[in-house]
Amino acid sequence: MIRRLRAPHGALALPAWVFLLGFFVAPVALVVWYSFGYKPGLFGTHANDVLSLDRYGEALSGTFLRTFWNTLRIAVVGTLICLVVALPFAYWLAVKVPARWRGLLLALVLVPFWTNFLVRTLGWQIALSPEGPVSSLWQVLGGDRLDVLYTRAAVQLGVVYNYLPLMLLPLYVALERTSHALREASRDLGAGRFRTLVDVTLPLAFPGVASGCLLVFVPLMGDYVTATVLGGARGNMVGQLVAGQFQTAQNWALGSAMAVVLVLFTAGTVLLTAGVVLVVRKVVRTKRRVELEMAA
Amino acid sequence: MKSDRLLAIWGVLVLAFLFAPILIIVVYSFNSGRLLTSWQGFGFDAYTAGTSRPAIRAAVTTSVQSAVGAALLSAVIGSLAGLALARRGGRWAAVLTLLLGLTLVTPEIMDAISLLGWFVSLNTEAGLPLFGDGVARLVIAHSVLSTAVVTFIVRARVAGLDSRLEEAAADLYATPWRRFRDVTLPLAAPGVLAGGLMAFTLSLDNTIVASFVSLPGASPWPVYVFSALRAGLRPEIAAVSTLLLVLTLVALAVVALVLRRSGDSPSDIARTMAGG
Repeated sequence: MIRRLRAPHGALALPAWVFLLGFFVAPVALVVWYSFGYKPGLFGTHANDVLSLDRYGEALSGTFLRTFWNTLRIAVVGTLICLVVALPFAYWLAVKVPARWRGLLLALVLVPFWTNFLVRTLGWQIALSPEGPVSSLWQVLGGDRLDVLYTRAAVQLGVVYNYLPLMLLPLYVALERTSHALREASRDLGAGRFRTLVDVTLPLAFPGVASGCLLVFVPLMGDYVTATVLGGARGNMVGQLVAGQFQTAQNWALGSAMAVVLVLFTAGTVLLTAGVVLVVRKVVRTKRRVELEMAA
Repeated sequence: MKSDRLLAIWGVLVLAFLFAPILIIVVYSFNSGRLLTSWQGFGFDAYTAGTSRPAIRAAVTTSVQSAVGAALLSAVIGSLAGLALARRGGRWAAVLTLLLGLTLVTPEIMDAISLLGWFVSLNTEAGLPLFGDGVARLVIAHSVLSTAVVTFIVRARVAGLDSRLEEAAADLYATPWRRFRDVTLPLAAPGVLAGGLMAFTLSLDNTIVASFVSLPGASPWPVYVFSALRAGLRPEIAAVSTLLLVLTLVALAVVALVLRRSGDSPSDIARTMAGG
């Protein structure tokens, strides 16, 4: 009986296997292959008759590394600001807001999440432009014409804005699952509000913090649309360099190498951070006397 | 309490922040001037201009076509995979989950360039005309981005169902196909619908991958907007965006309604819509 039930279920995954191998694994393998090639002459985009690691040497040049550090800084600062902004909000929504309002407020949070990414960014471009509403308001209040568009600050603002919902939702889900009983128990045992927050609520929210940071940081490293719209020439991100090699310079070999380096560096940063966080958690856990179980 | 009031103020501020640019776009869609960023006066000119301009109509049509296609394709592939993963564990299931997870965390620019090269090879070197079609390219590319989302939503939905229902159907001599059609599919349907609509909006939203794989003459709406950035933005873009925003909100409301009917709490709905 069990066998009869299981057999067709395995086959159901077949289309997904075929699709992912055909349109995810194979194309990425192709990019890795291109990255070992070179650009043949003015009109070719790539050639692989001579294989070398030279494109990686070219990719790791000064411009790329400078842009990479710029991207990394925007991504790390953006992720941290998102976390700092989202954590109190998610806590408020999950714990303080009465249950009957929660659905409505969540729906409100989801609306920007599903509005076109590029269009929201254009909204900021209007808002921040020298003739825009923010600048006008500032001038009414007696300030000078604001010229914040096409600066790093504008890019940072846009990035925080665009990725904030991706941080908010996992945090909310994690905090919402933490039971009220545990917090009450902590208070009954004489812990102050701050102790309860630090020793009970935040450790329970940890999975949400981790997945939120991942969901913000990784796509942010590859994004260049936000930076192009709000940063202009100054908003150079690695994604832009890769795109330029494909769309302007027509050097697919170099562009491929850059993309591979970007993916490896991003993965490396994530793994390194995860490792450090896990070690710190382990140390903290051995010092703490009470073990908290996640309320499933 | 004082800290509670501070939290509430923070909450309202964050909501205002989230809505600010959307409100600005909606307000500026009524700008009757020639340039989007400089306000001239109130009027509906942008709506008439936006809905009648052929390039805009073509871009929106391409977007909607490829979003519907991507929603259908990834709903079918993702739902089947979600069922398989929920009902059958093991090594292969773990590998497939890992692969799907990788598609979620791969920077979009990687998907963009890899699919560009792959489509060009399949079209010119392997001589497959399908991959020379702009909409087909967009459907496939966007499905790569959204199959994992559908799979994980459906998996979560089906994992919460009692597998004894299917076993009972089998004991009553239902064939595998009838079991699937009459028992599993109706129970998984809300997840499939949520996943499909998610794929629809993800496709409408996508800029980076679309700007690489799309072909001249079949560029979707975000690509049109992105290229209009260099030429100077006109209020039509805000007007059409406002119309598309309304479309997305309707889709979102439909999903929420279906999920609520199937007995989900608001936080379940949020979890489903946030992709797990």
